Amino acid sequence: MPFHLTVLHRAHVRALSSGVLALLSSAVLAVDYEKEIKPLLKERCYACHGALKQKADLRLDTAAAMRKGGDNGDILAGAPSLLLQRVTTPDKSDRMPPEGEGSMLTTEQVAKLQAWLAAGAPAPAQEKPEDDPRAHWAYQAPQSSGRPLDALLAARLASKNLKPQAEAAPEIWLRRVYLDLIGLPPSAEQVTLFLRDTSLPARRRVVDELLATPQYGERWARHFMDLWRYCDWYGLGPQLRHSQKHLWHWRDWIVESLNGDKGYDRMIVEQLAGDELAPGDRDTLRATGFLARSYYLFNRTTWLDETIEHTCRAFLGVTMQCVKCHDHKYDPIEQADYYRMRAIFEPMHVRLDPWQGEPDFEKNGLPRVFDLHLDQQTFRHVRGDEKNEDKSKPLAPGIPQVLAFTSFQPAVLKLPPSSARPVLLPFVLRDHLHVADQQLEAAQKENAPAAIKAASLRTAMIQAAYAADLVRNDKTIAAAAALAEARYLVAKAELDLAKAESDPKAKDDEKKIKAARDALTKAQNKAASPGEAYTSLPASLKAQEGPTESTNAAVQTYPETSTGRRLAFAQWVADKRNPLTARVVVNQVWMRHFGASLVASMDDFGRRSPPPLHQDILDTLTVEFMNNGWSLKHLHRAMVLSELYRRSSSNAGVDAKTLAADPDNAFFWRMNPRRMESQVVRDSLLRLAGKLDLTLGGPSLTPAASETSPRRSLYFIQNADVEDRFLATFDNANVLECYRRNESVVPQQALALTNSRLSRECADALAEKLGRLDDKAFMEESFLAILSRPPTAAEREVSMAGFVALDHNRSLFLQALLNHNDFVTLR
Amino acid sequence: MTPRLPPTPFLRRDVLGGLGSIAMASMLRGEEAWQPPDGLPMIPQRTKRVIWLFMRGGVSHMESFDPKPMLTKYAGKSIGETPYKDVQNPEKLKKVRVVVVNDANGQQRNVIYPLQTGFKRYGECGVEISDWFPHIGSCADEIAFIRSMWTTDDNHGAQVQFHSGRHMLEPRVPTLGAWVTYGLGSMTDNLPSFINMGPRFFDVRDGHYLGPAYDAVNLKVDPKNPLTYAAPEFQIGRSQQEAQFDLIHRLNGLNAEQYPGDKTLAARMKSYQLAFNMQTAVPETMNLDAESAETKKLYGMDDKVAEPFARQLIVARRLAERGVRFIQLQHGDGAAGAWDSHSGLKKNHSSLAQQVDKPISGLLKDLKQRGMLNDTLVVFATEFGRTPGSQGSDGRDHHPYGFSVWMAGGGIKGGTIHGGTDELGFHPVEHPHYVTDVHATILHVLGLDPHRLEIPGRKRLERDFGRVIPQILA
Repeated sequence: MPFHLTVLHRAHVRALSSGVLALLSSAVLAVDYEKEIKPLLKERCYACHGALKQKADLRLDTAAAMRKGGDNGDILAGAPSLLLQRVTTPDKSDRMPPEGEGSMLTTEQVAKLQAWLAAGAPAPAQEKPEDDPRAHWAYQAPQSSGRPLDALLAARLASKNLKPQAEAAPEIWLRRVYLDLIGLPPSAEQVTLFLRDTSLPARRRVVDELLATPQYGERWARHFMDLWRYCDWYGLGPQLRHSQKHLWHWRDWIVESLNGDKGYDRMIVEQLAGDELAPGDRDTLRATGFLARSYYLFNRTTWLDETIEHTCRAFLGVTMQCVKCHDHKYDPIEQADYYRMRAIFEPMHVRLDPWQGEPDFEKNGLPRVFDLHLDQQTFRHVRGDEKNEDKSKPLAPGIPQVLAFTSFQPAVLKLPPSSARPVLLPFVLRDHLHVADQQLEAAQKENAPAAIKAASLRTAMIQAAYAADLVRNDKTIAAAAALAEARYLVAKAELDLAKAESDPKAKDDEKKIKAARDALTKAQNKAASPGEAYTSLPASLKAQEGPTESTNAAVQTYPETSTGRRLAFAQWVADKRNPLTARVVVNQVWMRHFGASLVASMDDFGRRSPPPLHQDILDTLTVEFMNNGWSLKHLHRAMVLSELYRRSSSNAGVDAKTLAADPDNAFFWRMNPRRMESQVVRDSLLRLAGKLDLTLGGPSLTPAASETSPRRSLYFIQNADVEDRFLATFDNANVLECYRRNESVVPQQALALTNSRLSRECADALAEKLGRLDDKAFMEESFLAILSRPPTAAEREVSMAGFVALDHNRSLFLQALLNHNDFVTLR
Repeated sequence: MTPRLPPTPFLRRDVLGGLGSIAMASMLRGEEAWQPPDGLPMIPQRTKRVIWLFMRGGVSHMESFDPKPMLTKYAGKSIGETPYKDVQNPEKLKKVRVVVVNDANGQQRNVIYPLQTGFKRYGECGVEISDWFPHIGSCADEIAFIRSMWTTDDNHGAQVQFHSGRHMLEPRVPTLGAWVTYGLGSMTDNLPSFINMGPRFFDVRDGHYLGPAYDAVNLKVDPKNPLTYAAPEFQIGRSQQEAQFDLIHRLNGLNAEQYPGDKTLAARMKSYQLAFNMQTAVPETMNLDAESAETKKLYGMDDKVAEPFARQLIVARRLAERGVRFIQLQHGDGAAGAWDSHSGLKKNHSSLAQQVDKPISGLLKDLKQRGMLNDTLVVFATEFGRTPGSQGSDGRDHHPYGFSVWMAGGGIKGGTIHGGTDELGFHPVEHPHYVTDVHATILHVLGLDPHRLEIPGRKRLERDFGRVIPQILA
């Protein structure tokens, strides 16, 4: 029954019977409760007066509940009713929504409410209240249907009378699976070979082979680098402000973990608490780069805010940003939950540990986190204002109640000695001595006695400092270290002075010589009474706690225990009973294989996320994923070997009714075409040219090198300041957040593929690689190489005409083909 | 229901463009009521385009558009010794949000520093302007001056804040130019519709959650190298390239037969046409040969100091003529920005003012004589003002509490002096405006309602929308 008619009718009757013509204005406003009133109340009122919360014991989610009222009784009765009074009163302290919780209702909205009330506040008889927030689908454990995804899809298509699209040509499938799994297209030979046997077992073999190549780890690392906000350090000039140096160790950990098919649950725990899980294992420590990445020099709260927000979005599909200032408006999470989670990370800090073989932290080092301030308390920030802490009660670490399937009980952990004192790492002394040895060798080669002396004394100093570091608090040994240091400093000062005096070109000779002389005097004075203060071997580099901390490098000893909070948290995140974690990653992997996600918002599975259309598929895959050791390779197989993955992405020849009923393919009756990510575009060009360097891992490369380097694109420096111009053109990941890569279509992309040196050089190299074929064979091979498929008859014709127009210039022809839509597209 | 696609900075409204990933996400979320803007004005449109002149580093408001003779009167005295000591009442200093704790800059400066230049009244409106900006002064009756701006970042992250409305320590959100192109789309098929010229430092993106398609395209005034990949980086004849584009177009046309209804493919084909056009249109726009000697002189091209900015502004006008929607110019090199005069303010500001004064007046006069000032909005802005007190012996520090900006052109009431600071230029004392009020006003004259520039899943705060400044509207 069209509800608004009733409203209009009743309002009319009332208006006419009372004879108040003025009321006609509201009567003319035919108001539909379901369409106009309920959505308004939902948006503006339900957060506090609905299923989530019942402030003043009042709910507004049904008309009956409003009549029942709260502390002040029926809010619909009377003229004006309490409802109308409270949303219109000029008294700010009395008005709803309260200040800071949203602006006042507009005149139009008030008029609608008024009309509805004037009509007697009609509502359906069996109005359903909001569901209990805890009953939200994503908070329930996933249940497997026990059926394969294709069977589930087929059943749903059949029930909707939709017909699936036919299979794509096998070579299209092959290109898809290559680009999806390793981020590189198949070669013409690989296509030809595959076309000889396109059976299911043959396809399975291809998938297994691809998953076994190291390029798989690189390809999928890039996806996870998007999600986990990989970002090389940056700042102002030499000042590090964001992230950490040598963060590439974490990137290499991601690649290696994926290639080794480490369980995704294990990957989560290592990233959030590798230092507590395996404190002595340097390979595992690399994983904590995830947390080191959010380091921010200037503001601890910003650092922790980003940590909390992106940990929750990436792993749990929960947004915490709003809870920082007030209780959640949609989800059953309260402000205190935010600060309980902050307490988990409160003790955490970041440092560089030495990397074997290189004692200079500018050149290498292991960025890692550790618990430093074990007793630091956490207070709620009133309305999210860091300057206004509620000191009345510190918050204990904890997890949101709605997801508390287990109690949160962190246990303090004892750390191995080398965690507390990195100087004890077995290679520290050796690496420092090695540098001194090299210095000595160089001096001996030059036969420079003063330099030889300095280098020898340096060795002595290192050994003495190491001995003192080992025993600690032994005055005799400390005194020996102080003396060795003083002696070395004298020798070094003498050397520097000699150098200054012998350098005739120096402009400010006098000044330099004087400075060197002063340094020498100082060193000699120190040597005369060295005392017991010496410089420890620099075996770690604690990150600055704020821009004014200047003595951070001197800190070489850290707590011997860790709070265990992050480990407990990580285990809760990666627990099979956590209803969100596995679903979130399955949804991510699905989106990357099928071009559309099962849950639309990749990073928010909260109450604003309605139950997905294909929840059975999501849940079945999720359960299967967890039951198979959280193996991503297992998950890939389930997806890319499915019938759906074999389907054509074209609308051509499809059942007209299907197309009309579901033009956006919500029911997955065909595949979705996707555009290559920027890294895949560049890597594929280099691969086609036969130039791609498959070296794995290592320090990030400067963008300047990216113009000429044949390395894969994930190895270039990327941060908020710097990115490669080619990669930037094709929607590079935003390092601040990237839960889903953009797929823009802008003219700069066309310019990059037509005008860049990269595309031209690729075309030149490919022309040479194809060698001396006749024109017809060249045409066939060109398509096979670039698009992994032969041309259609029409394409042959157009191509040949174009080739002639290009004066038979093969490079130019190939370059045109690189601009074919199907090159950048996963068909 | 298939949601429509939002306007894009590249293709005109009548042509399909971009990918509706935002629209799609919203649909899947079940928020069917939401639709992106359709590219048509939501309210009456008073101006079509914006030329945005941003002075990086922080222009002294007292020595530009809000002169304060009391500074000269109380020179050398501490603020506490003047009748205005209440300006440093801690309550009044609270709104600032510090990024760099204990930084050498961004501090309270207590010893009053006298005005470093004179000032006089200009135009019928009689606005007082410092002697460093005489040419802008000569356009005073076209301009609405806003002397009561405030912001919250005491460091140069305030540049980001002025463009986006959000402090550096908050999440990055789209800038004004991105919202404008998102709301209105393009007016040209030959040029990108959102362009940036000049250096940026703290945030080089504009689109953020709207996507990189809404980032400004960076152009340089060099006709030989105006845009990344604008010209082939190798030898190729024009006719050869034409043949290449023709072949690409034909092959993609065949592809469209195989994949009917593929919107991305259609958009890509269109993007190749635009790319091809841009290769000619961009260098042509940068080439000033066709500009008359009088025009060049009007902008100050004959003055060596003013020449670089003059060139950019002529280009800006040419871009405006050719249908570009939002032209964003950044003046002043360096990470912090050239106007950042912690020392040597007199030398710094007098020289930088000379770089921009004549060119900006030239732009206003040129737009007027071409009848374009009616539908072009020119904005002069900076991230914050400078302290009434001295830093060192001859500089001024950052001052987020009060500063000045101005606007002129379509929809703006010229000769308006709006708002004002106290006697020391410290705090706004009438009509204080946070930076988003400027955004709201600009969107308003462009015919956009900021409250309707929302996308699902991205909460905007009331402050993000700002409030229109009605007093300066024509």
